[in-house]
Amino acid sequence: MKPPFLRAFCALLLLLSANPSSAANDRGPVILAAASLQDVLAVAAVEWARQGHAQPVLSFAGSSALARQIRAGAPADLFISADEDWMDIVEKGGLIQPRTRADIAGNQLVLVTPIRQPAQVKMGRGMPIARALGSSRLAMADPDSVPAGKYGKAALTQLGVWTAVSPKVVRAENVRAALALVERGEARLGIVYATDARASRKVRIAGIFPAWTHPPIRYPVARLRTSRHADADAFRTFLLSPKGRAVLARYGFSAP
Amino acid sequence: MSSDIYAALSPEEWSILALSLKVSLVAVAAILPACFCIAWMLARWRFPGKLLVDALVHLPLVLPPVVTGWLLLLLFGMNGPIGRWLSDVFGITLLFRWTGAALAAAIMAVPLMVRAIRLSIEAIDTRLESAAATLGASRLRIFFTISLPLALPGVLAAIILGFARSLGEFGATITFVSDVPGETRTLPIAIYAAMQMPDGEAMVTRFAILSTMLSLGALMLSEIMVRRIAHGGRHVI
Repeated sequence: MKPPFLRAFCALLLLLSANPSSAANDRGPVILAAASLQDVLAVAAVEWARQGHAQPVLSFAGSSALARQIRAGAPADLFISADEDWMDIVEKGGLIQPRTRADIAGNQLVLVTPIRQPAQVKMGRGMPIARALGSSRLAMADPDSVPAGKYGKAALTQLGVWTAVSPKVVRAENVRAALALVERGEARLGIVYATDARASRKVRIAGIFPAWTHPPIRYPVARLRTSRHADADAFRTFLLSPKGRAVLARYGFSAP
Repeated sequence: MSSDIYAALSPEEWSILALSLKVSLVAVAAILPACFCIAWMLARWRFPGKLLVDALVHLPLVLPPVVTGWLLLLLFGMNGPIGRWLSDVFGITLLFRWTGAALAAAIMAVPLMVRAIRLSIEAIDTRLESAAATLGASRLRIFFTISLPLALPGVLAAIILGFARSLGEFGATITFVSDVPGETRTLPIAIYAAMQMPDGEAMVTRFAILSTMLSLGALMLSEIMVRRIAHGGRHVI
């Protein structure tokens, strides 16, 4: 290696090693959140940071994947699940701090279809969803684990059509991945939250699942046992405050 | 829990294993002739753009698998140019089907397979081919009686490596064909799905042991075959 090059290389190394340490000090709390909260939490984080806090670090995935990471000891501050089940599992594992659990929002479950090639189906008991699909597929989050998929399976079971439609189900890792398949027209129907449908301009709502068909959709937040960040509880409180609720409402989330 | 781990495979697990084997076998069988031709071109020919072809062949090795899967979705999806053509003309759908999983696995196996075959073609002593030519053998005969047998260790190594690579394929597959039990839920995808389940631990462990054994077995088998056929000659990998 020639000396000038070596010098440049060392300078680069110095730069790289200097940066993370300075960034670590003003790094905000780490938030693990359900994929359906992607847009709204990004906005909530910016609003909160505007009040003089360090920008939180947001990590989105299916609640099931996040719960798995928490159980494996992920160093994070807050967990926001898309259902009570996964929070229950994390809580039973002794992984959250007592009395920090609270619901931040609620949601609705809908059937979506691509705007370009929409499928028609009337919601209700025994709805002809398999026929409406034809040779296409129904995209939903994994009905065995991911909340949006579990709610969807419950709803279709209540409506008496799960057995007929389950061979046509394409299981996505999270609800946004299911939404993406419908957006591209690769699946002609999909089950997502009302807020996901609202966030996309490429799908429209084909029907809303009545609330009685599935367990109530709620988003619980809790502070994780391993949380060390001084600001972690402040962000949790912000989400539960009128200001935080207003941001959630703006994106179509209902009160819990 | 531990007895769960060592219990025999359930019918559902067998079907996942069988699907994985089917997808990988079909992927390797379908892509092998193309891999051989590309390897031959790269080893023997000189042509403009050779560097580009070489780089393109290796692309799946370094490209994020999600990108490969996304490109496959764009091209072979219901609304992709090739996907629509296949479905209109031949009635073939790849999306959300095991054939799509095989396509993804095949693409991901190309770099490894081409590399193994190419190395063994390059190792052939071309004087043997010249000698056969001076004795009046046709080019076709030279190829089938001299070049191909000499390249065989590399071809076998390519088959086994490609097969092992296909068995482990995850990223491009889940992006392209998602998770459809019985169609595209291969071993790695079943492991991922089981990891998301609250009590999937035992299943994950069993599948993880199974795929480790399969991969290890395939690698050792390829090494043994190469050695046996090369008779202590050059190692291909």
